[in-house]
Amino acid sequence: MLAQALPTDSKPRLRRLVLSHEGVLALLLVAEVAVFSVIGRNFWTAGNAFEIVRLGAEIGLLALALTPVIVTGGIDLSVGSLMGLSAVLFGKMWRDGHLPLPVAAAATLGIGALAGLVNAALITRLRIPALIVTLGSFSLYRGLAEGVTSAVDNFTNFPDAFLFLGQGYFFGVIPAQLPIFAAVAVGYYLLLHRSAAGRGLYAIGFSPEGARHAGIPVERRLTLVYLLSGVVASLAAVLYVSHNGQAKADAGTGYELRAITAVVLGGTSIFGGRGNVHGTLIGLFAIVVLQQGLLLSDGPAELAGILVGVLLIVAIAANRLIATLAARRKGE
Amino acid sequence: MSRYKRELSVAGALGLLLLVLGLFAPKFFDPANLRAVAVSNAPVLVAALGMTLVILARQIDISIGSQFSICGMIAGLLAKQGVPAPVVALVTVAAGAALGAVNGGLVAGLQLPSIVVTLATMVTWREALRWISEGQAVQNLPESFLWLGMSRPAGQAFILIAALALLGLFAWALRSLPAGRAVYAVGSDAEAARLAGIRPRRVVFGVFVLMGALTAFAALLTAIQFRNVLPNEGGGLELKVIAAAVVGGIAVSGGRGTVWGALAGVLFLGVIGPALPFLGTQAYWEKALQGSIILIAVASDAINLRQRRDVGPGLAH
Repeated sequence: MLAQALPTDSKPRLRRLVLSHEGVLALLLVAEVAVFSVIGRNFWTAGNAFEIVRLGAEIGLLALALTPVIVTGGIDLSVGSLMGLSAVLFGKMWRDGHLPLPVAAAATLGIGALAGLVNAALITRLRIPALIVTLGSFSLYRGLAEGVTSAVDNFTNFPDAFLFLGQGYFFGVIPAQLPIFAAVAVGYYLLLHRSAAGRGLYAIGFSPEGARHAGIPVERRLTLVYLLSGVVASLAAVLYVSHNGQAKADAGTGYELRAITAVVLGGTSIFGGRGNVHGTLIGLFAIVVLQQGLLLSDGPAELAGILVGVLLIVAIAANRLIATLAARRKGE
Repeated sequence: MSRYKRELSVAGALGLLLLVLGLFAPKFFDPANLRAVAVSNAPVLVAALGMTLVILARQIDISIGSQFSICGMIAGLLAKQGVPAPVVALVTVAAGAALGAVNGGLVAGLQLPSIVVTLATMVTWREALRWISEGQAVQNLPESFLWLGMSRPAGQAFILIAALALLGLFAWALRSLPAGRAVYAVGSDAEAARLAGIRPRRVVFGVFVLMGALTAFAALLTAIQFRNVLPNEGGGLELKVIAAAVVGGIAVSGGRGTVWGALAGVLFLGVIGPALPFLGTQAYWEKALQGSIILIAVASDAINLRQRRDVGPGLAH
């Protein structure tokens, strides 16, 4: 049965919340903020808080998209490469195809949907493990981006109105990409936690066969999450281009592993069946705050990566330990 | 023969590619070019042998790019201090084995998923190396280290012979040694293997240690080819090597595949890039072609397999 659907635990709600994976991680995030507020220059400011959101937006979008994918027991390694392909095709449609930017952006999202469908078709129709399919498309999409641009073409000189999306502020403080990021986060929250389709994704993660016997259209659900993953990767690419003011084939290199790190740190099981959107958001910000905080307190930037790696192992080891202890207690 | 069906079909595809090259671009078979292609792929093959073991045992290691970078830097720094080459080799391989033991300890000891463990160690080691090295390359390696103090052709021959000797060794060990069979057994069904008297945790720990040692050796074979060792030399190696293994028919669900498949995968993916300019295509399309090859290889595999067996979708571990 779905453990999360039936909270039979009689412990007080608050205690359960604090002791949950996300609870511990949230406390850690609070601790990070407290430490950097003391030792960092200008850390404890609204401006910096919004800057952190800006830094996290692109990887955050990928992490949101990967959460339901990983919940089904799958993975999508191609999202970073798809960002590169989307970025250069977006640039090409605008500069060489003379399409208006909004049209080019919409077409880019369409390309993302198509790329996601290719992954989905191979995974659901041919039943190839998602790891392998997206390893292939990881190479294919990046390769197409390099081939189309001869690996050197760089699209620049985007109009200011477009650059506002990635660099501008509403009311002087709110980064322009925040509403988009928030909308995608809410969308994924509703999908995973407030819809029947979302419950189905957890069931698929626990047991694809069981889900199929329970009447869940497994292929259609999987197609949905990989399709959305493609669309969101393309959206992240458009934000990336606007944020950086240029579109090159190397856009988003290595982002897939960073996004997966945020998702797994946020408590989503790599085996599927367990995880949630708020955990991913807390995991994401635990990483971005660490990076930004070390930057503002003149700490070594590399320390952020090292700590994230260690944290990841501690997090899953703790999860494992708690699960083992719980199983043992139940057995007594 | 049907046992090696996948290896043979990849070898056939490789043969076809070579035939096309022979017809349209005989210059590709210029000895100097062939040697360059072979030597640049030898370290990839050595790492792929380790990855074969890891995947056969139903695990994965995505930290080998970082391991490769660290071991290459260690080799370079030691060589620069004037340490004799055999000692450099020994220390480097031991360092790689130690890095592999960390992964193995976490995966086998604490029973954590290898994809997450090695994702974490990949990040940790990469950033630690960047911190310590400050992004600086080890420059001007001594003559006694470059090609191990031999002439360039002799050094190249050494690299090829070393890689092929390891290939032969692992082919034999996986087929004929109890330890080799144990890797297949654990990858096919760890519980059944345990009941048959094999210790799955020990086997898993062992394959990660070997993976680390082989990655270090691959880094060493690369380091002796150049004047400088770069601290990000191994970036992206993990997915390249996994791709070669997959194209060679090594199943990520464990227990199925051979080192010959890994060899075929390394050669196919390694030849396609250098071949492109000879066929009048720009080299920029290399990655796209490699991606297509991976997808075609696994898709044809899946279509073949589909009639026989039903595998659930999702991430195979």
